[in-house]
Amino acid sequence: MSTKSTQHGYTIERKSDHFCGRFFAMGSPCELLIDSIDEQLAHHLTSLAYDESKRIEQKFSRYKADNLLHQINHAAGLEVAIDDETHRLLKFADTCYHLSDGMFDLSSGVLRKAWQFDGSDRVPSADTVNQLLPLIGWSKVKLSTKHIQLPIGMELDLGGIGKEYAVDSVAKQCTQEAAGVSVVVNFGGDIQVTQARVNEQYWHIGIESITDDGAAAKLLKIKSGGLATSGDSRRFLLKNGKRYSHILNPLTGYPIEDAPRSVTVVASHCIQAGLLATLALLQGPAAESFLQSQNVQFWCYR
Amino acid sequence: MQLMNKPINISSALAAATCALLGAPNANAADTDELWKFDTALMYYGEVDRVTAVEAIIGATKDFGDEHIFSGKVTIDGLTGASATGAVAQPVAQTFTRPSGDGNYVTGAGETPLDDTFHDTRVQLTAQWTQPIAENMRASGGVNFSNEYDYMSFAVNGSVAYDLNQKNTTLSLGLSYAFDTIKPEGGIPLAFSSVAIKPYSDDSENEQENENEYEDDFNRTRVDDSDNKNTIDLMLGLTQVINRRMIMQFNYGLSLVDGYTTDPFKILSVVNEQGLTQDLLYENRPDTRTRNSFYWQTKYALDFGVADISYRFATDDWKIDSHTIDSRLRINLSDTSYLQPHFRYYQQGAAEFYRPFLMEGDNVPEFASADYRLGEMTAYTVGLKYGMELDNGDELAFRLEYYQQTPKNAGFNEPGALQDVDLYPSLKAVIAQVSYRF
Repeated sequence: MSTKSTQHGYTIERKSDHFCGRFFAMGSPCELLIDSIDEQLAHHLTSLAYDESKRIEQKFSRYKADNLLHQINHAAGLEVAIDDETHRLLKFADTCYHLSDGMFDLSSGVLRKAWQFDGSDRVPSADTVNQLLPLIGWSKVKLSTKHIQLPIGMELDLGGIGKEYAVDSVAKQCTQEAAGVSVVVNFGGDIQVTQARVNEQYWHIGIESITDDGAAAKLLKIKSGGLATSGDSRRFLLKNGKRYSHILNPLTGYPIEDAPRSVTVVASHCIQAGLLATLALLQGPAAESFLQSQNVQFWCYR
Repeated sequence: MQLMNKPINISSALAAATCALLGAPNANAADTDELWKFDTALMYYGEVDRVTAVEAIIGATKDFGDEHIFSGKVTIDGLTGASATGAVAQPVAQTFTRPSGDGNYVTGAGETPLDDTFHDTRVQLTAQWTQPIAENMRASGGVNFSNEYDYMSFAVNGSVAYDLNQKNTTLSLGLSYAFDTIKPEGGIPLAFSSVAIKPYSDDSENEQENENEYEDDFNRTRVDDSDNKNTIDLMLGLTQVINRRMIMQFNYGLSLVDGYTTDPFKILSVVNEQGLTQDLLYENRPDTRTRNSFYWQTKYALDFGVADISYRFATDDWKIDSHTIDSRLRINLSDTSYLQPHFRYYQQGAAEFYRPFLMEGDNVPEFASADYRLGEMTAYTVGLKYGMELDNGDELAFRLEYYQQTPKNAGFNEPGALQDVDLYPSLKAVIAQVSYRF
């Protein structure tokens, strides 16, 4: 019944009443569900999504050596010119930094050098961690509309917002290109639904279960809006019976204690949901009460 | 923890930051930031030898997100021409005084008497708000105001709709109330009083005397400056999705009218056994009317378009039963254009107090009207509409229709001269409309 076709980097597949477009980007399987049986439209939107996510990945990935982020991270204390999109993204991160009193910090990625969450018992020494702390602190970054300047040795990691931003950006393009058509943009569980389906039905979306290591999937019903999940049960350290989560406190350099293993939040936009989930994880034991006070729909797994 | 000190602010601050980042006004408006939608139309309605109307409509709709929808409409009508008074044609010319009491007009031999002073401008304003009020439940409320020279109407309405069966079934309940005031020029005529005829005079000495006498006569036929009526409408609806291609709707409507339902401009001829007019009386209708209507509609999606057919049966305590069959077939010519033929058939029986004329010497009934709209008739409309979507997404449509109304004798004997005149003239009209949606 279903027909599948592959074209430069993505595939599209006809389902009973919609099309599904798939590709791989930003380290995640990416999926578009398009509430239309117009094959041309499905091709158009999927290729557009593919191009947009590749563009964002190319521009902001810290794994690439020839992009803007690499330039920023290796400027040796000098000013680097930035474009409007980068400024808006960094400004958003700046807001999150202030809202979280410094707990959400794009410069905390440097702690990776001490912590490798590979399921082992290699907990770093206090010295190793303390040596890195001076290289953390968004407040030391100088940001203007046209330029950014990092102190020597500091680096930024947009991993915490890049994928969610890509989801929203793709969703926005789908809205512009196919007004009136409901599209689900799902990049590895970070989701945006552009609008309700024509017949008001729910989209049923399987999300990889955190607790069962992918064995079972959780089925979510969503009409419109954004959804994001933070946390990952497979990224942790275990030493002397103590579990170290991969959520690091940029102020101490150590993992947040008693954080949920995963938090899923619903909000009007994916990036909003993602940030609320991340801020909740940073609350540790108070994650649930924090989310309750924010009046959002959420699921916490401990 | 620090975050707990400023709880709610975080999610709203994040929402604001997200808007700044994504450049969208807000999340839910993303798919509805199309702003206002406008529907405009210009319509011409022309009856052969009778009324001509030109109507301009401008409607605006805005979706404020989450199915919170406002719609408003302004309609302006201009009417000119003549309308049948209810008096019968005669083998000789007849002289009538205009309903306002101001001046006379003459109707030729064998011609249906028409009041030639029919001109008015009507302005109508409507506003409606619809929004969800619970899971699977929507409510809607609106106001409606219309005003013309001698008539004013104010109405409010409210309805709720409930979706069940995975939105395949919708139940609805609607209620509306209207208050209408009529203030005809010259006042409200006294039921069954004789229409005063303004005398002619070449004699200037007698003119003033005649004028005064006529004014007295005219004033004796008047009871009040204005009158009003109340209308309550109740509607129960069921919409059912039958399958992927077919949707059906059933409605029941109950309408209760209380107040002045008489048309102050309509009169009755009193004829003798030769069929010659002896007197003209103002008509009189009951002051209540209860109407039940049943409506069924089916829309069927075809590969090339949409078929839409409906049937309505209405019955009221004036004993007017009516049947309406309406059908439209939309034929898609391309992705952006369509042709839509339209056919409508209407049939009604006469009201129990309908009288084409009264007989001299008979007792005057409690109620009587010779208004052709209350008599037995059939009517049909045939039309064609062509619509197209322009490159910029706007829609342009043209509609041309022909309407013919054929009144019938509901079983009245026609004495003498009335056999030689057309008591039930048919009415023909052309409707042309251009509409533009943007």
